[in-house]
Amino acid sequence: MRKPYKIAVLDYKMSNMFSIRNALEGLGFEVEITSDYQKIISCDGAILPGVGAFPEAMKNIKELGLDSIIKDFILTGKPFVGICLGFQLLFDRSDEIEDTLGLGIIPGEVLDFSKLGENIRVPHVGWNHIEKRSIISKLKDINYQDIINDKESFYFVHSNFVKPFNDNHIFTETKYAGIKFCSSIIKENIFACQFHPEKSGQKGIKVLSKIFNK
Amino acid sequence: MSLAIRIIPRLDIKGPNLVKGINLEGLRVLGKPEAFAKFYYKQGADELFYQDIVASLFGRNSLHDIISRTAKEIFIPLTVGGGIRSIDDISNILKAGADKVSINTAAIENPDLIRSAARIFGSSTIVASIEAIKQSDGSYKAFTDNGRNSSNKEVIDWAKELEQLGAGEISLTCVDHEGSGNGFDLKLAKELYNAVSIPLVIHGGAGDKQHVLDVTRELPISGIAIASLFHYDFILNNRQLDGFEDEGNIEFLKSNKVPSSIKSVSIKKLKLFLAGNNVNCRIDA
Amino acid sequence: MPFKRQNIEKQIQLIPKEVLWCKRCVVSNQRPRIIFDDEGICSGCRNTEYKNNDVDWEKREEELVKLLDQHRRSDGHWDVVVPSSGGKDSGYVAHQLRYKYGMNPLTVTWSPLEYTDIGFQNFQACIDAGFTNLLCTPNGRFQKKLARLCFEELGDAFHVFVLGQSSYPFQMAKKLGIKLVFYGENGEAEYAGDPEYADKPFKPSTEFVKQHFKGVPFKELLDFGLKNKDYLSKDDFAESDLVFYEPPPIEELNEAGILGMHFYSYYHKWSPQENYYYCAEHTGLKPNPERTEGTYSKYSSLDDKMDGFHYYLRYIKFGLGRCLEEAAHEVRDGHITREEGVALMQRYEGEFPQKYFRDFLEYLNITEEYFWEVVDTWRAPHLWKKVEGNWQLRHPIE
Repeated sequence: MRKPYKIAVLDYKMSNMFSIRNALEGLGFEVEITSDYQKIISCDGAILPGVGAFPEAMKNIKELGLDSIIKDFILTGKPFVGICLGFQLLFDRSDEIEDTLGLGIIPGEVLDFSKLGENIRVPHVGWNHIEKRSIISKLKDINYQDIINDKESFYFVHSNFVKPFNDNHIFTETKYAGIKFCSSIIKENIFACQFHPEKSGQKGIKVLSKIFNK
Repeated sequence: MSLAIRIIPRLDIKGPNLVKGINLEGLRVLGKPEAFAKFYYKQGADELFYQDIVASLFGRNSLHDIISRTAKEIFIPLTVGGGIRSIDDISNILKAGADKVSINTAAIENPDLIRSAARIFGSSTIVASIEAIKQSDGSYKAFTDNGRNSSNKEVIDWAKELEQLGAGEISLTCVDHEGSGNGFDLKLAKELYNAVSIPLVIHGGAGDKQHVLDVTRELPISGIAIASLFHYDFILNNRQLDGFEDEGNIEFLKSNKVPSSIKSVSIKKLKLFLAGNNVNCRIDA
Repeated sequence: MPFKRQNIEKQIQLIPKEVLWCKRCVVSNQRPRIIFDDEGICSGCRNTEYKNNDVDWEKREEELVKLLDQHRRSDGHWDVVVPSSGGKDSGYVAHQLRYKYGMNPLTVTWSPLEYTDIGFQNFQACIDAGFTNLLCTPNGRFQKKLARLCFEELGDAFHVFVLGQSSYPFQMAKKLGIKLVFYGENGEAEYAGDPEYADKPFKPSTEFVKQHFKGVPFKELLDFGLKNKDYLSKDDFAESDLVFYEPPPIEELNEAGILGMHFYSYYHKWSPQENYYYCAEHTGLKPNPERTEGTYSKYSSLDDKMDGFHYYLRYIKFGLGRCLEEAAHEVRDGHITREEGVALMQRYEGEFPQKYFRDFLEYLNITEEYFWEVVDTWRAPHLWKKVEGNWQLRHPIE
């Protein structure tokens, strides 16, 4: 099987992509930070990163034409990863700041923690652990079941959380302030997570390594 | 709560050196920051905090190189503070590899910076730092320039304002306790925790692992930033004496002493101690 | 009638008219008794070089032990006088002498003109660290007038403190039969003064007039004041009030076996910043809760409300303020670079000590207008110029 070696990190002018690049380069991958169609499509894998606000992110993505590029890339079947805001953007809509439409690739919505209760401190920031659901997807020879172990801890920092409409997409869940929310999804060749694997120490790096490797 | 408490080593940096003061005074050199950072990462630190302690004093920023080097090898969140004065400064520090920025002096001089920065970079990227010094009437005032100039702002009110402006977290430095090894100012910490609804990190005073446990027992604090307790443990076995020709007074390092008020401990040992006392903290297997 | 000062201050007449800045640290050649060599490096820097490279500190400590062995008493009597403010330097010396070397120090304190809260707190904390202390507060009615005289004619109200601080310990040493008087730093060595005494273990009292008293012996100063100032008269003091402003005559000191000011800095490499750490750890020392006016530090010379005016007048007289003093030492010690020292000076040098200005005026019983009248007579023309109504240094540091 062909081993992915060049990964596109999608640049929509909003996020600190240097941690991702450092992590990927540290693993021996070649990294292209870009919003150019040709460059992205020709890569072996792609990551949609993100820190910041949903509405502004979607605005930039649309302006750069990244919405169709993302959809095209996903159609190629090559591994696609969404991280944190990049995870949230894949869904139908978000109520962060103002009601905004997302990429609509994964059915579901993004909700605000603080709207759920009086005493919920946001952002949810720090190390929290995940609970795995059973496997949904297999892509060629990549067994997604193996990329994360049950009860592992990862670094989270977010004020909104996703609510997938399709239960089958939920890969891991995490508890915060009495709420169980979806911390990662798998849909066909898409793996997306609320936490930051590039900021979760060696275990996080391993997750990236397993997704883009055999 | 399944969210673990964050144990955050704090590195005060001046130029190329890691320094450690008492009550935010003094430039005693303990070594090179990279060496400490690497060690702390291996030991299971949850985040790292770099503070350029003379940036505001000298009107400069100079941590970019060390940030870049750190970000290449250390894959936990890095917060950087010291002399961050503008949106451009923030952008450059993030580009260098930091994940969050900590702002104090500039926010006091221009609170609107917090608002703009939160909007542009996201609240969770913006940590508001408060240096609190107790006044003779018992109140606490917020200081700038590494605990030097009084802002006349009362700490609790200022914290509330910072939350309104959009800061994602508050980092509270108890200047009177900092470097002393006498424990944290729990009263102030509790008061501040109850006054805001964003995460709070406390810094200043840990001299013993018990002090750290005491904080967790008093309030569900989000994170604890620790300097002396870890640094003096590191140099017990890792004393570097060369590379200080350009600047850095290493008289203390050469003396091979350890301050008596600090019962130093490693991150690993501290976390095991906390876990043994039922504190939810991440133990890196 | 506008104030017109006389010329009894001897130092100011000797400073060079061309201003030069040390190439290595941030001091200028305007400091009395400083020497600049051909490379443009000051005697303070040269002394630091010497301290770092050529002094055998182990041997020095052996000398100290030998000296202390000669003086140590086990009969319940003090064996060393330590002039002490409770600050970082004297606290360090007293604590080391007692707890490291087993001496029996008596700490003696010449009161600041007016205690600050933090100063008194540190003073008491040091006593609590384990020392018997004598605090002497001079006749206030007399001292305030003397201070005004010194402000007007020596350009330094704080001079009255220096007189007592250099003399009282020797008067007490003689009265109590203690031969050893241990000061902390050798000011001339550490702050780029007269290099002749930079490397001596002690300084005899015959040198005090030139090096500490601005060239004017106390009695001369007092006579001048009585003759020329209508606010000062013989009614303001008794002869006994004058005792502590001068050391005992040299013959009496010699007979008592009191050699002079011993310097701890001769025996141990002196680092004011490390003294701070030491005292924070051992004598309960706390820094200033805010930045000290006129400089960037929080740990230096905190005990006197009038202290800031000593430095401010020095800035007027020589262009050498508080920030410069500290920055120069820290540059030499390697804590900060010269560029950083310059940056600090550009930010804080010459900052007016506003906080205790009212207290200062009240202490001297003068008005604000009169204060500035006097200050302006101390501006050396070769140092100051007026630009659009504001005074500026002709040659600030680059």
